[in-house]
Amino acid sequence: MNSFVKNYTQYHNTWDEMFSEKGHVRDIYSDFGNYLESVPIENINKMQEFSKQFFMNQGVTFTVYNNKKGVERIFPFDIIPRIIHNNEWSVIQSGIKQRIKALNYFLKDIYHEQFIIKDGVVPPNLIISHPNYIREMRNISVPKNIYTHISGVDLIRDRDGEFYVLEDNLRTPSGVSYMLENREITRRLFPKLMPRKKVMPINNYPQLLYDQLKTLIDIDNPEIVLLTPGLYNSAYYEHSTLARLMGVELVEGSDLILKNHNVYMKTASGLKKVDIIYRRIDDDYLDPLSFNARSVLGLAGIMEAYRQGNVVIVNAPGTGVADDKAVYTYIPKIINYYLNEDPILNNIKTYQLSNRDEMDYVIKNIDKMVVKKTDGSGGYGMLMGTSASETEIHDYIKKIKAKPNNFIAQPTLSLSTSPCIIDNELTPRCVDLRPFAVYGSRGIKVCPGGLSRVALKKGSLVVNSSQGGGSKDTWIIKGN
Amino acid sequence: MLSRVANNLFWMDRYMERSYGLLNLIKTNYNSTLDSGDYSSWDYVLKTYMGIEESKSHDDYLDTISIINFMLFDQKNPNTMSNIVIKARENARSVQEHISRELWLSVNKYYLHISNESLSSTFQNSDPIEFVNEMLQYNHIYYSVADITQERGNAYCFMNLGKYLERVVQSVEFLSVRINSLSEKNQKLSESFFWKNLLISIGGYQLYVKTYKSIFNVENIIEMITINENFPRSIRYSIIKLFIHIERLNNYNQLNDKELLFHVGKLKNTLQYTTIDSIKKTGLQKFLDEIKYSLNNISNNINKIYFAQTY
Repeated sequence: MNSFVKNYTQYHNTWDEMFSEKGHVRDIYSDFGNYLESVPIENINKMQEFSKQFFMNQGVTFTVYNNKKGVERIFPFDIIPRIIHNNEWSVIQSGIKQRIKALNYFLKDIYHEQFIIKDGVVPPNLIISHPNYIREMRNISVPKNIYTHISGVDLIRDRDGEFYVLEDNLRTPSGVSYMLENREITRRLFPKLMPRKKVMPINNYPQLLYDQLKTLIDIDNPEIVLLTPGLYNSAYYEHSTLARLMGVELVEGSDLILKNHNVYMKTASGLKKVDIIYRRIDDDYLDPLSFNARSVLGLAGIMEAYRQGNVVIVNAPGTGVADDKAVYTYIPKIINYYLNEDPILNNIKTYQLSNRDEMDYVIKNIDKMVVKKTDGSGGYGMLMGTSASETEIHDYIKKIKAKPNNFIAQPTLSLSTSPCIIDNELTPRCVDLRPFAVYGSRGIKVCPGGLSRVALKKGSLVVNSSQGGGSKDTWIIKGN
Repeated sequence: MLSRVANNLFWMDRYMERSYGLLNLIKTNYNSTLDSGDYSSWDYVLKTYMGIEESKSHDDYLDTISIINFMLFDQKNPNTMSNIVIKARENARSVQEHISRELWLSVNKYYLHISNESLSSTFQNSDPIEFVNEMLQYNHIYYSVADITQERGNAYCFMNLGKYLERVVQSVEFLSVRINSLSEKNQKLSESFFWKNLLISIGGYQLYVKTYKSIFNVENIIEMITINENFPRSIRYSIIKLFIHIERLNNYNQLNDKELLFHVGKLKNTLQYTTIDSIKKTGLQKFLDEIKYSLNNISNNINKIYFAQTY
């Protein structure tokens, strides 16, 4: 056995995607395991280098400004794919569909009659006082009753080998372009392994997205545009890639203009009507007349055009109320309420700190907890009880007690690990999985795979790209 | 096509053309200083290409190598090679959905090459001509990739507008600054290496020799740069190209604006019926001023019709 496979040391008490507890290669990785044993580490290093160069040359980068000088960075990529069996995937897929469906009913309900509140399933405060609950959306009929056209559901595999939902991302989540590029490079790195493995294809995602968006409006060949904050946004690469692959215009707010409550774009041959806007700017920046008055990224008056049904905004404004960490705890109940089904995918046990008993329990056991702000994202402002110092814990508890509503807590998770090449060695690193679902009038489609994000720091559980995370290609395979 | 996109395509090619002109000038100027030892010729390049006032001249630099190093890599001056390429690439990045994938890759590679931190120190230890030639290859690749991969449509036309407008501006500048000032110093005419390098810097040496044999004569050079139909850097050639692309844009976008077409058509026809004798009669400077005036009109109209963001 090749030594770098033999020297693989698993994290303690953690599920590993490739190796069983006893250190045997799992069936699903057997071909890959054989391959790794036969290939010298130098070749693996070369492949790693090749992938870096590939991303650089293609411009799959974001710019970091240092002393006014722009430096191109790539999102770190690990060449070893994360493999999931189709049987497991089918469960994930139906679980995601179930969740998105229920969350859509939920959004429609809370912006209209609010039966779920009247029936006492969720407390009114949770919704009405929520910063992302947008009053402007009350009683608007959104096209085809769809709010969350594009969602990314973050999943983790706990030490019991089961997948759990960590977070729903319903505000036009990013990462899908990395999913596509990761596959592009992996195809070339493992030309012999991939076909044999019958990996389910993901490269038609842009077509899938386009086809789904098209169904949102009943006209032939609607004009679809992708609205970006611009060149200096860290996700600009993704915006431009999706626009290019879908064949739609990539527009900035200043390219749009409003006339008689219709949205037009300024082209070299005059004004052209826009029917569907896939926006990659936050609700807050969408319309200075309705939201943040200082925003220059959106278009003044677009909400009125939307209200009149002249333009479709994707995702609908106001979906942020449903993907927040406080609402998250109610999702099993929400699924049950609207669909009369049990959730297929489990939530992680979550404590509401607004509940006195749960808060006391959390504070007592804080060294085993992760405490998060309900409106935080990107991994900021959270407390890792296992690694925090006493003063940090002390300060944090003060913050919790001041505003318990703003916090939730979860027992410290164990994210599963997947082998990565780090410093010439095969070592485990924690991964999560973000599959992407697209909801059109023909139903919900989930792209088979997704983005496996990797916490590159040893022992770290934080996979966010803003905090040292990387990514891997994800293979959903049929047969062995 | 979005007006903003059209504008960025235009500037992408303008910057690429400018980088090409600058590199050629650096190369030939360096080459000519090898023969003449006259470093004052750098002042012209520094002034017209770097926007540097006369108070700062070639004397302020240690040697030729540091002048070139400045023009290639200085980060503060917006007109250096590296800054021009950064701008070309920024523009390309903002129009990726409209240019061929290959063209984007070629611009991005150029950018990665020139922004490589170690490149400046590589330059210090290499032959400047060889070094610049290597850079020029990126421009050549860019032109040919655009030619064989870019679809012929709006995007291609806007790119060409940028390219030929920049080129004609360069040729006008070349004539008004270089030839005009030197035609007074007739004694230099005998120094054929000077003229040879001058022509090489705008890529016209071979054609000149073929057309006029080896007699170096200011009039012949003026004739070639202004009204020669076959010299790809002549004013006339560039204006013909501008006309073609403006006419196409007019058709594609079905605009009824005839003003732009009128201006460029008029300039094209004027050049068609211009001879070296009529230029002499008008006076070179006046002739060039009239062209500059027309170019101003043309570029204002392009702006107004295609790029303006107000409706």
